[in-house]
This record gives sequence, C-alpha cells and structure tokens, in this order.
Amino acid sequence: MIKVNDLHKSFGKLDVLNGIDEHIRPGEVVVVIGPSGSGKSTFLRCLNLLEKPNKGEIYVDDELINAPKVDVNKVRQKMGMVFQHFNLFPHLTVMENITLAPVKLKKMTKEQAQEKGEELLKIVGLSDKADSYPVQLSGGQKQRIAIARSLAMEPEIMLFDEPTSALDPEMVGEVLDVMKNLAKSGMTMVVVTHEMGFAREVATRVVFMDGGVVLESGTPEEIFDHPQNERTKLFLSKVL
Amino acid sequence: MNQCLVWLTGGNGISAWFAEFARTFEKCFIREDRYKLLLEGIGVTIKISLLAAFLGLIIGFLIAICSLSKNKLLRFLGKVYTDVIRGTPSVTQLMIIYFVVFATVDLEKWIIAAIAFSINSGAYVSEIIRAGILSIDKGQTEAGRSLGLTGVQTMFYIVVPQAVKNIFPAMCNEFITLIKETAIVGYVGLMDIQKAGDFIKSATYLAMMPLIATAIIYFVLIKILTTVLGVIEKRLRKSDIR
Repeated sequence: MIKVNDLHKSFGKLDVLNGIDEHIRPGEVVVVIGPSGSGKSTFLRCLNLLEKPNKGEIYVDDELINAPKVDVNKVRQKMGMVFQHFNLFPHLTVMENITLAPVKLKKMTKEQAQEKGEELLKIVGLSDKADSYPVQLSGGQKQRIAIARSLAMEPEIMLFDEPTSALDPEMVGEVLDVMKNLAKSGMTMVVVTHEMGFAREVATRVVFMDGGVVLESGTPEEIFDHPQNERTKLFLSKVL
Repeated sequence: MNQCLVWLTGGNGISAWFAEFARTFEKCFIREDRYKLLLEGIGVTIKISLLAAFLGLIIGFLIAICSLSKNKLLRFLGKVYTDVIRGTPSVTQLMIIYFVVFATVDLEKWIIAAIAFSINSGAYVSEIIRAGILSIDKGQTEAGRSLGLTGVQTMFYIVVPQAVKNIFPAMCNEFITLIKETAIVGYVGLMDIQKAGDFIKSATYLAMMPLIATAIIYFVLIKILTTVLGVIEKRLRKSDIR
C-alpha cells in the first residue's frame, strides 16, 4: 500500500531522515516509536508530502507520489492525517469542520456529507457536539473530531502524528479508544506515538527509529520483550 | 473670531445670541441654497470612499498575495509598491494620477479620484492582510492540505476567513483614515464635504460655522460607520464564544 525506498530529508544542514525503507501493507497498524528528534514525525509528514523528501521514492498504491507531475491533492485525499495540535478550523462548527473537504472537493453532496458526519460523530461519541465550535470542546473531544474530519474523506490510510501528546492525561484514553476501534475495523494506520501501551496492544508492527533511520522493526512482542538493537533496549529501558 | 467675541461679550443676553446664530446660520446654509453644496459634498465623499475602499481591498489583497508569494519577482514588486506609496504624500499621488496618468482618459472625475485613493489605500491594506494571513497558524494550512484541498481552496475557506476576523479592527481603521483622506480631493476640483465647507467660507467670509459644520458632518459619518462596523465585528466573533 505504501512503499518507501531510501527516503532522505534534511532541513538546511540538518539531516533528519537518512535513508528509510518501509513497506506498509493494507490493514497494518504500524506504530513508530523513538526518541525526540529521531525523525518519526518527519517520516510521517513525508508520506503525504507535507514535507518534500530530498531523495528517495514513496509509492502509494504503486503510484510514485513524489514525482513532479503527480496530483498531490488527489494522493492526499487517500490519506487522512491527525495532528498533535488537532488543527481544527476554529471558525467552523464541528459539523462544518467535517463536511468542508468532502463537499468542496465534490466527493459528496452537502446532504450526503451531513449524513456521513452524523455517522462519524456517533462513532467518536460526540453526536451532541455537531453545532459546537472547536473552542467549546476539550482537548480529547477536539482530537476525536479531528479524527472524524479525516475519516469523512473516506481515506484508505490514516496517519497519526503524536495524537495524544498535547492532551491532559485523563483525555488520552478516549482518543486511544477511538483509534483502537478504527484499527479493529481494518483501517491501515501509521501512528507516531509515545503511548507504549497502545503500541503493545494495537500495533501489528512496531518500528523503532533513531537518528533518521529505522533501527528495528517487528511485532510488539519482538520489540518490547526481545529487542535486538542496543539503542532500542536503551530507549525502552527509559520509557517503560 | 470677532463673531465669537460679540456672542460672548455682547451682553444682550441669550436671545440676542440666538438671533445672531440664526442669522449666521441662514447666511451660511440657507441663502443661495448653500446647504445643497454640503449635501452634494457628502454624496461625493461617500461615493469616492466606498469605491476606493472596494478597489483598495482588491489591490491590497493582490499585493499581499504577491508579498507572500514564493516567487522572488512578485515579492519584489509587492515591496516596491508599498514602499513607493508609503513614501510619498497622498496629495502628490492624487495629483499625479489625476493630472498625469489619467490626463487624457475620459472618466468621471470622482472615479479617477477613487482610483487614486484605492492605489494609496491598497498599499496599507496589503500590509494589514499580509500580517493577518501570517497570523494564522501553519497547522491550519497543513490540516486543509492534508484533507486534499488545494492551496487556493485552503486559502479561501480556511485561512482567509480566520484572517478576516483578526484584521477586521485594523481594516476599519484604514477605512476611516481613507474617508478623512478624501478631504484632499478639492485639489483636483471635486466638491466634497471639505471643499463645500471651504467654498461657503469664501463666499460668506464666515469661517467658524462652515468649518465646524464640515467637522461635524465628517464626525457623524464616521460615527455611523464605526457603529455599523462594531455590530459586524461582534457577529464575526461568534465562534469565539465559549
């Protein structure tokens, strides 16, 4: 579904990604872990080209997406993204946040989008908030709306960039629950997170990154219980 | 000034003061239908201000887009535009536009004046819009783009509506400044409020009443405007209410 070959990215003189090869298959829930500054978020942001890679190839459904003539917007419609800071549109109501993209991109009529929106709000457990503005919601609620907003475009892949890092501890659970259900429904997901419990429970594969490269990748048991790489061991000894 | 002293020291009491006031008022505004000059002037000021504000907004937006563009040439042009306009007096600009640029163009006077003011206002508006767009968090653009919206769609549905709310007070200020700035159109022979007041002053040899009247008219116009804009701003803030 997503295939990445020798991905490099640098910001000025700072090399953030130093050659990443990954293959994400349909239905996989890949959780990317690693210390701060290891390039996890940059890797995720390269996948939908919010960052432009300097070198390497990214294939989505066998299409090379970082080629010059690709319609980036079309590619992005296949990939939902959830951000650390939610990035809800503060000037729109919850329902408008959800329906904006599908309607403007002519994917659905207004009525269809509304219907879809109600369905999604039910899934994330916020049916009563359709007419609220983002400022009236708690952090956890905002993030659940952000997930619903991404799902409204009916993406094939969902990317999560530290979705619970900006939340108060008591709100982390409600967001993770939504993500767990999403994983159960068979959605292909790539999740950058510090929630090791979530990684262990939900991931089909855990990827450990450091220094802009993937150092180790395997099932949660392999990574958490029998890490091979010294840096993985060191990292896990600090966070677990 | 003499008038004033007579009023204050004349000693004939309030009735005499009123009689004098009425006489001056009659001379300034009623005789020879002079009030019509002021009415006409109000029309001219409003016409020029509205058209200039509208065109200025368009010019300002285009210049702001240039200034924020990734293209170096566009950025340079945007900077030159604002530099030149901000670095020269608006009277000079008005006269250049009127007597040089549009010298041979057959357009109504007030329209040419409005164009001149819009070119001036556009420079200031562009800076306001630029700041407004920059004030919107980058995450908003990223969220829009990540949903598959194009850059233009993200700009128009997500960034601009939020920027509008932020820059509204500054824009109101600019519009008010613009209205007052139009008081110089007398330089190119247009009869606006200021020129009408000035004309009455010359015709009657009375300075105080026509000029105070001019000031009051501008004040009332702008007071009405700020009241209306205040109501609009309140509505824009709807999504901020917790």
